This record gives sequence, C-alpha cells and structure tokens, in this order.
Amino acid sequence: MIGRLLLNPVNSLAAGYKMHIGLALKLLWRDWRAGELTLLLASLVIAVGTVTTITLFVDRLQQALLDESATFLAADRVISSSDTLSMEITEKATELGLRQAQTLSFLSMVFAEDRSQFSSVKAVSDNYPLRGQLIVSDVPFIRGHPIKSGPPPGEIWLESRLLPSLGVKKGDILELGVASFPVGNVLVKEPDRGGGFNNAGPRILMNLADVPATEVVQVGSRISYRYLFAGDKAVLDEFQAWAKPRLPAGTRMFGVKEGAVGIGSTLDRAERFLLLGGLLGVILAGVAIALAAQRYAIRHYDHVAILKTLGATPAGVDTIFIVMFVVLGMMATLLGSGIGYGVQLGVVEVLQPLIPIELPAPSMKPVWLGMSTGFICLLSFALPPLLKLRKIEPVRVIRRDLGDNAASDWVTYSFAVLGTIGLMWWYSEDLMLTALIFSGGACAIVVLSAVSYLLLRSGRVLGMQAGSAWRLALAGMQRRGKENTMQILIFGLAIMLLLILYLVRTALIAEWQAQIPEDAPNHFAINISPEDVEPIRSLFSENGIDSQPLYPMIRGKITSVNNESGKVRDERRQGSDDSPRVSSTRNLTFSGVLPDDNIVVAGQWWSTSYEGPAQISLEIDLARHNELKVGDTLVFDIQGRELEATVGSIRTVAWDNMQPNFYIIFSPGALDDFPSTYMTSFFLKKEQKLFLNTLLSQYPTMTVLEVDALIEQIQIIITQVTLAIELVLALILISGGLVLLASIQASMDERIKQHAILRTLGAGRKLVLGSLAIEFCVLGFFAGVLATLGSEITVYALETQIFRLNYELNPELWVLGPLIGTVLIGSLGTIATLKIVNTPPTTVLREL
Amino acid sequence: MIKTVGLGKTVRTSEGQLTILKGIDLEIKKSESVAVVGASGSGKTTLLSLLAGLDTPSHGSIFLGNKELTAMDEEQRARVRGEMVGFVFQTFQLLSSLTAIENVMLPAELKGDGQAEAKAHDLLERVGLGHRFTHYPRQLSGGEQQRVAIARAFASSAKVLFADEPTGNLDTATGAHIIDLIFELNEEFGTTLVLVTHDSRLADRCDRSIVIESGELVSGGV
Repeated sequence: MIGRLLLNPVNSLAAGYKMHIGLALKLLWRDWRAGELTLLLASLVIAVGTVTTITLFVDRLQQALLDESATFLAADRVISSSDTLSMEITEKATELGLRQAQTLSFLSMVFAEDRSQFSSVKAVSDNYPLRGQLIVSDVPFIRGHPIKSGPPPGEIWLESRLLPSLGVKKGDILELGVASFPVGNVLVKEPDRGGGFNNAGPRILMNLADVPATEVVQVGSRISYRYLFAGDKAVLDEFQAWAKPRLPAGTRMFGVKEGAVGIGSTLDRAERFLLLGGLLGVILAGVAIALAAQRYAIRHYDHVAILKTLGATPAGVDTIFIVMFVVLGMMATLLGSGIGYGVQLGVVEVLQPLIPIELPAPSMKPVWLGMSTGFICLLSFALPPLLKLRKIEPVRVIRRDLGDNAASDWVTYSFAVLGTIGLMWWYSEDLMLTALIFSGGACAIVVLSAVSYLLLRSGRVLGMQAGSAWRLALAGMQRRGKENTMQILIFGLAIMLLLILYLVRTALIAEWQAQIPEDAPNHFAINISPEDVEPIRSLFSENGIDSQPLYPMIRGKITSVNNESGKVRDERRQGSDDSPRVSSTRNLTFSGVLPDDNIVVAGQWWSTSYEGPAQISLEIDLARHNELKVGDTLVFDIQGRELEATVGSIRTVAWDNMQPNFYIIFSPGALDDFPSTYMTSFFLKKEQKLFLNTLLSQYPTMTVLEVDALIEQIQIIITQVTLAIELVLALILISGGLVLLASIQASMDERIKQHAILRTLGAGRKLVLGSLAIEFCVLGFFAGVLATLGSEITVYALETQIFRLNYELNPELWVLGPLIGTVLIGSLGTIATLKIVNTPPTTVLREL
Repeated sequence: MIKTVGLGKTVRTSEGQLTILKGIDLEIKKSESVAVVGASGSGKTTLLSLLAGLDTPSHGSIFLGNKELTAMDEEQRARVRGEMVGFVFQTFQLLSSLTAIENVMLPAELKGDGQAEAKAHDLLERVGLGHRFTHYPRQLSGGEQQRVAIARAFASSAKVLFADEPTGNLDTATGAHIIDLIFELNEEFGTTLVLVTHDSRLADRCDRSIVIESGELVSGGV
C-alpha cells in the first residue's frame, strides 16, 4: 500500500478522501441513530435558530422604528433649503422612482373679520405627507381622525387654538395675503411639526397651488422649502450620494436620525443596544456550541483511539470529522435558520398586539446573516474540539489513564478568540465596542478563573465541618476542581452577559425617561422685550405655569479668532460636514449660572458675581470643529458693533433636553451695552393650551414655538424603543438558559458515573439528590458573585464609553446576582440531573 | 515476522525518569503463537503496544513484517496497523454507537473494501453471533462483546493478532470458549499471535512464552 501510495500519490490521495467521506457519512448516521449527536445537533440548531430569530427580529424592529420615526419628517429623506431646488435634483428622484412631496413654510398675518393673528403657514403639495398621518377634525380641541392628504386647493386648515383666537368656525372666510380662503378642517396633528423659526406660530395648512394667489411669497421673503422623498433605503442612499455634492451652500439633506431633534440619539442608542443584544446572543450561542462539541469530542476519544488501532491515519481522522462537521453544520444551519425564521414569525404574531408599530415583512438578508453567523460559530467553536481528536494516541485503547493528551489548547482557543472577535466586529462595525467587550470579557475570564478556584478551595474548608450531603457535595466539587472552575466560569459568564444587558437596558430606559420627563418644557417663547420680562414672569406664576429662567438673547457672529478672519477659517476647513461653523450668525446670551445639563470640560465657569473683562463659554462641538481653545481671543459683530472676548471655558450641552440651549454664553455684564430680547421655555398641559392666546394677545411682539406635539411624538418613540429592547432581552435570556443547560449536560457523564458508584455503595436517593442540589447551588452562588462583579465592571465601561450615560453602582445587584445564580443553577442543575438518581446504577456501571 | 533490537521505554513522572522496558531483543516467527507473561506492572502491556505500533519506544528498533516501525511517523504506522495488525483487548473496545456487525465491518470500511458487510456477516456467523447482528455492545454480554472483538480482529485480514488479556474480564467458562475461538481462528487464518496474559493455561497453549520481569526480558526472546 505504501509503495502504491508513493507510485501514484495523487490518485491514492483522492481515493483515500472518497473512502473517508463515505465512511464519515456512515459514522455520522450511526452516531445519530445511537443518540450521540442529539445534544450537539440540538445545541447547533438552537444556537443558529436563536441567532437567526434575534437577527431577523432586530432587523425588523430597527426597520420599523426607522419607518415610524420617519413620520417625524413626513418622509424618509428631506432636502431643506431657503430657496427653490434645481429641477435636476427632483428629476433624478423621479428617475429613481422615489415618491416626492414638497412643503413651503413662512410666517404671515392672517385676518378674520375683526381679528388678526400672526401664524405659521405651511403650504403642501397634494401627495404630502409621504410618511405619517395628518389628523383633522370638524371642531377644535378634540382627538380627530386621520386623513390621507392635505387641504385641497381653495381652502385652508387651522390649528385648534386659531379658531377661538380669530373667532371663526369651519366654513368662515379668512384672508391670507391678497387671497381669501374658507376654513376647511381643524388641524389636530401633522407629522413633521418640528420647531424652527417658520414654525413659530399657530399652524395654518394650505395647498401649495394656492401660494402664488396670496402674493405673500416675494423676493427676499423668509421662506423654508422642504423637498420630501420616500422609497427603498438602497435607492434613497444612492439618491443622497448623488444629490448631496450638487446641493448649493446652506441647503441640508437629512434622514430621520439627523433631522429629528431628540430622536437621533435615542435611535442610535437603541440600535447600539439591539446590536449589543445580538452580539451577546451570538457569543452565548457560541459557548453553547463549544460546550456541546467539547462533550462530543470527549465522548469520542476512545472511538478515535480504536479507529486508529484499526488503521485510521491522523489525516483520515481529520477528513472523517471535518466531513461530519460540514454535514452536521449544514443540517444545523438550514434547520436552525428555518426554525429561527418560524419562531420569529411566531414571536411577532404573539407580540403583535403589544407592538405599537407595524413590522415590515422579514427580508432574506437577516436569514443569510443568521446562516453565515451560525456557520462561523460552528467553525470557531465546534471545529476546534473535533480537530483535537486527530492527536488522540492509539495506545489509549490499552492505557485509559493517558487522558485526552490531545493537542495543546491554544489552537482551540485561538479559533474561538478569532471567531468571537470577527463576529463582534462584523456585527457592530465598531472596533471600539468590539475591543471593549472582548477585553472586558477576557479580563473577566482570567480573574473569574482565579477567583473560582480560590472559592472552591475555601468550600472544602467549610465542608469539613458540615453534614454528610454537604461533605459529599463539596468533596465532589473539590475533586473535580478543574472542571468545576470551568463550569463556574461558564455559568458566571452567561449570567454576567445577561446582567450586563439587563443593566444597560435599565440605565438606557431611565436615561430616556429622564431626558424628556412628563413635565419637560414644551413651548419656547422668544423675542420677549426687556420691559415685558417681569410681567410675563408674573403671568406665568399667576396661571401656575412652570417656566425656565428667562435668558437674554442677542444675534451676533464671530468675525475673527486670534486676529484671523472667521470667514477665512471657515474656508480653510476640510469637507462640507454639518458641524457648526465659526462665522455663522448665532443667538448669544449671558449668564452667571451654568445652565442645567451643561458640563464644563475645559477651563472654568465664572463666578455668579463676575465683573471682569468679557469672557465666553463655548459649546464643545463648535470649539472642537473650529479648533478653538481656552484662552483664544474672539471678536464678535453684534448689531454692527465689535466686542472682544476671551474663551474662558468649553462645555457640553444636552441638546435633547428641550430647554433653551446656546453655543456661546457670555460672562455677566458683557452684553449690557447691547439691547437684547429674552427667551424662555415653559410647560403647558393640553388643557392649558388656550393660555397661549392670552399670552400672545397681551404680548403680541413675542413669538411662541410650540414643540408639544414633537415631544409627544418623541415620548411615543421612546415607549416603542423600550419595548423593542425588552423583547430582545427576553430572547437573549432564552439563549442564556440554553448555555446553562448545555454546560450542565456537558458535565453529566462524569456525575452519572460517580453517583452510580455511590448508589451501589448504599447511598440513598435523598443523599445523592441532596448533594447534587447543594453542589449546583454552591456553583450557582459563586457564579452569581463573579457575574455581579464582572457585569458591574463591564457595564461601567459600556455606559461611559459606548452609550455615554452616567454610571451608577447597582447595590441591588449584589443581592440579586448571587441569588439568581443560586436559584437558577440550583434548580436547572437539579432538574437536569434527576436522570442520575432515576437511572439504575447497574445500567450506568455496565457502560463504564 | 516481528523483531526488536535493544528496545526500551522510559517515561517522565513526577518522581523523575521511570524505565518501563529496557534492552528487549526478541524475534517472533510467522504463524507462531507467543504468550508474553509477567507480574502486574512488569511492562508486558507496554511491550505489546510498542510491537503493535500503538506507541513509540524511547530506544531501539522494531520490525513488523519487513518494515521498520521505528522509522515511521504516525501516519505510516497507522497504515501498517490497518494492513497487518488485528487486536483483541481485555476491555473489548467496541464502538458503543455501532451495532455488532458495524463494529466488525469497520476495519474493512477503513480500507475501502466493498465487501465489508459480507465479510463481517461471515465472521459473526463464524464466532456464533449470527443472531446478534444489530445489537449494540451494551445489549451484549461480556463474552459476546469479546467474540465481536475477535470477529473484528480477523476482519482486517491481519497478519499479526495482538491480544491483551483477552479473558481478563470474563468468567472461567466464557474465557475458555474465547481462548478456543482465538486459537481456532488463528490456525484457520495462519495468523501470528502475540498474547499478553496472566493465565498460565492460556500461556501453555502458545508455542512459547516470553517472560518479562521489571521491564527486562528474562526468557523466551528468541
């Protein structure tokens, strides 16, 4: 044979492979029939299934949340401009098959018979809105009903409070510019209410075709044009890539994340959470696969030794097990992804009444993602233990005491490490997140192993004074020290991952709820003249209105930085990103007190009684993008006069908090020489809405920006995102349970043998069961303690580095963690090992 | 058929180097039956595993047929085992997930022999297990398991049969049947038999005995 091999190595090799493939398939079938593959295949199928379910579900939720959030814009993408857009861009959108609509907003007086009101007019094309719904009614201040499109030509719709304010009802005639229109519906809600100057007053909605007749829009009028687009994401991306470079200066193109105040960061964090959930799901699935494959490999050490004595070569063994692995992997991946798809459909079906948004149909992409994830999991976690089999020495058939004596474990671990890092990176597309979770996990494993070992040793000392079931349990744990350290580690890791997810979810939800509390200011008042400040303050308190401090507001811009022109600096900047420019005209204010939610990150905030030379505090993005630092000297142009100020501090601003926020704040007294108006924000309950009419009739020069509808929409989105996160957490919990079961199963063979011997020697069922329960409870307790420690550390890193949240220690976890560990592992372990006491010892001993 | 020159085996233990075998020179002729005897721990099982190419020596050379095992790597030794060697173990060493007939088919299947099933069928009939084809090892008695192992050993058309305490796990009567079976088949197939045993009756049925004491060959080397 050897001679033949040398003469015709290629043919022999091919024939060898063919033969081994055939044999592998036979062995696979025989293993399956004998039940050897059940646990491995079940782990693989459940792991792939869980990953597919999570991936699909997360994908659909993400898509649904984005769709839902798109109603904030009434579109998927918006181009916002102060001028009309060139035909070239809209024609391109038509060519790509995108749906389009257009809106045009301006401020104008509207007249009834004897009353008038400064209003915010929005003219919309016939197919507006592309996303979301318009809600209208016949009479003001009721819930209303949805309607497909905006006002037809020849009529205008009024927001509820305009009707009492103008003293009109449906059908009455109003004058807008030089045209007259009858009042059509009462506008209860519009999807893209938003804020901004042109949305300041109460809303009037009209048809775009009627605008020319009003003659309101003239050259130089302050008008906002918004071009709305909706369609398939890939087409939209293509369109955005094409259009963005062709847009004139001052024109912005954005999607929901950039476009909706307060939603962007919520969605970003939610996406990161879902991603983290998916990631942990994959790792848990990987651990389950690794455990099952390890068990399968250990059970096959003897098989391989026998095969080798019968003439199987190491290369032959490799071929046999790789073929088995590939076939098994394909079966598991197909079956798992099919089951995952089905389960996900079932989950959606069951949860549909609870999910306030409609999920889009599942796409094939996540199925492929699930399948490839499953296969990578197999490759990283299941193949290495199987490949170790080639190193099993044939002499093991005679000398069992040789143990596995297999390949060094570094190959196994490298595969798992590479696979884990690769998958994490692939999923997150974020090297920082990958590095953080991976290094956190690696450190936790090292520390956990050392501590578990020490804990086990201390267990023995305690056990010496204890009763017999305790002694049996603790002595057993001590004897299988290495295996039990591993088991505590795996239990600990699984519980840790679950705790991490739970903690991050809790912190995220708390943060969101705190971000926009129930009584968050939902109206901004601007253009308040200095003499009106005190009377308005009194009016607020008389009416029980909760308001923020009144901030002075002056328009101005930076003309030079350290003697260099602001415009020159802007031109020098690379790229055309949306970051704040140095020379833009901005709202300036002064304050002795640092506003709530602002944090000084460089320099120092001045004292409330500061009276020195003018200083300013800059918002961090403005400072960073324009390379401004503490100590720089800036010259401002305010109302045609120059003012020099030094940068005293740089601070972060919580833009999402719905309170007056400023890029630039001056030190007290610095702006005393400039006439300013004031602004504030306040909270109005729905039933207090008519207070606006009182306020505006008494102080007609002031402008109120109504963001209550916007805030309400944000709160709805947050509720939806929260639910999405809870659902993913539940799926991951199932995955975690699977790992725990796989781990218990993996140690079952050894336990069955030991307890069968004990029972033969006369130990009763109660003693065996008691010692098993104690053993699992102790393992669970230790695992719980370690998981708590590990999760606190990882959550600290995740919350501060990835989610940008404020970290707080979780004292309740130090009770919950060990308790969950003890109860969960104790009960799961005892239930799973009931088989041990129910199997007659003779049956077990026969198979030893 | 088998020849060793200066064969030695040492292993490293926590207490230092331990010599298991030293300076073994022996020769076994084709179709000869040889018993390796000695006290427990004398090194006879280690000698068997070296002769069969299951383990590698620390010193010396082993020739099986006209091939030098000690000059081969594991890949080549495995091929030689598949071609030339059959085994019967004290603990039977059947694959638990395979039925009786599948266990017997395995050596032929490893060689890609298309007649594996027919051969296994004949051999199982020959060892008196015609009614046990589809039984798993756990459903068979110790004697029956050993008979399956014997059928498997001869299924590979081995030139040398190594048996390690083949009756060690069996009662006297069953053991006697097994011994009869091994010798009958050995004669029928013209196999060279190397047998490790404590059992003097079994040793007496062999052509000669090799005696090992504390790792050294005391008598019967040639």
